[in-house]
Amino acid sequence: MSVFPLRLSLLVLFFLFALVIPLQAQIDPIPNLAVQPIPIPGGDILPPYGLFNQFLPGPPNQTPPFDPMNADPHGITNFRGVTAMGYTFGAATDNHGNPYGVITDIRVYQGEYVGGEVADVNSAGATKSAPSRGTFVEI
Amino acid sequence: MKVPDSAVQISGNTLTIHLVDVPVVDAFAFPPPLPPAPENGIYPVTLIPARISFDITYTKSGLPREIHPESRDPLSPVNWGGEMWDATNSGTFSLTYTDGSFSASGNFSSQGNFGEMGTEHNGVFVDRDERNASSAGPAASSQAQVTQTAEGAKQAGRTVLLKGHVPVKVSNQ
Repeated sequence: MSVFPLRLSLLVLFFLFALVIPLQAQIDPIPNLAVQPIPIPGGDILPPYGLFNQFLPGPPNQTPPFDPMNADPHGITNFRGVTAMGYTFGAATDNHGNPYGVITDIRVYQGEYVGGEVADVNSAGATKSAPSRGTFVEI
Repeated sequence: MKVPDSAVQISGNTLTIHLVDVPVVDAFAFPPPLPPAPENGIYPVTLIPARISFDITYTKSGLPREIHPESRDPLSPVNWGGEMWDATNSGTFSLTYTDGSFSASGNFSSQGNFGEMGTEHNGVFVDRDERNASSAGPAASSQAQVTQTAEGAKQAGRTVLLKGHVPVKVSNQ
């Protein structure tokens, strides 16, 4: 972080935490998707913001600490399939030539899931469980 | 976000993602400054529409970790199962705000950082998969592949099929 100017350092978390985690649940509503995936019920509580429905698995004895290495890397519950994730560092340049540090945590899930669909079109949108499958990326 | 299945390709030890001009929203800074709590308790968050393209390759290595649920608490981080490998990933990206006020491109790598990939089940799939794995041995699993053709139905009367969550005896008498 010290290699970047302070103003730019504030933007270092641009991709991982700003673009990726818009301070609500990590699995936001997906427009026009009949069977909506359900966020995992647990996650990390990050004061003062509250609960993020996502764990941050990682090795022990780190500062700041990660969740246990076997913490669920998934953001969607009722899911069975392929999962991939990883924390990265990198560099970027904007359209004015300014350098940025980049941190990402991009996760991909592909498989079947039980989500929520509208149970009754004459209701306000109350859900019922429904099976589906799909590919999801958290960026 | 949901993406087409074709955006993700899995081959051998690698998984690749290729996405072009995907609409996203950017809050631009995290953690954002916490404003004084308004009377209604709702904090405004400014979201900026943008489009992002990226290519990422995940590569697994080593031996898998067999993971079984260590807790029944649905909020626990270890209430899931699967088979995960250590993995690295690297990629390139470009991002453009839809109003044209900002764009950036770059690259990243997970070298030296934690990453993993594999298969997993969580939520409602935990109980049924773990139960099947423990109660159905390899023989029963292979029996589950039996299809219900006319000939297969005859065979089913003499074999055990996996039906629903538990092995059941099917009789055609």
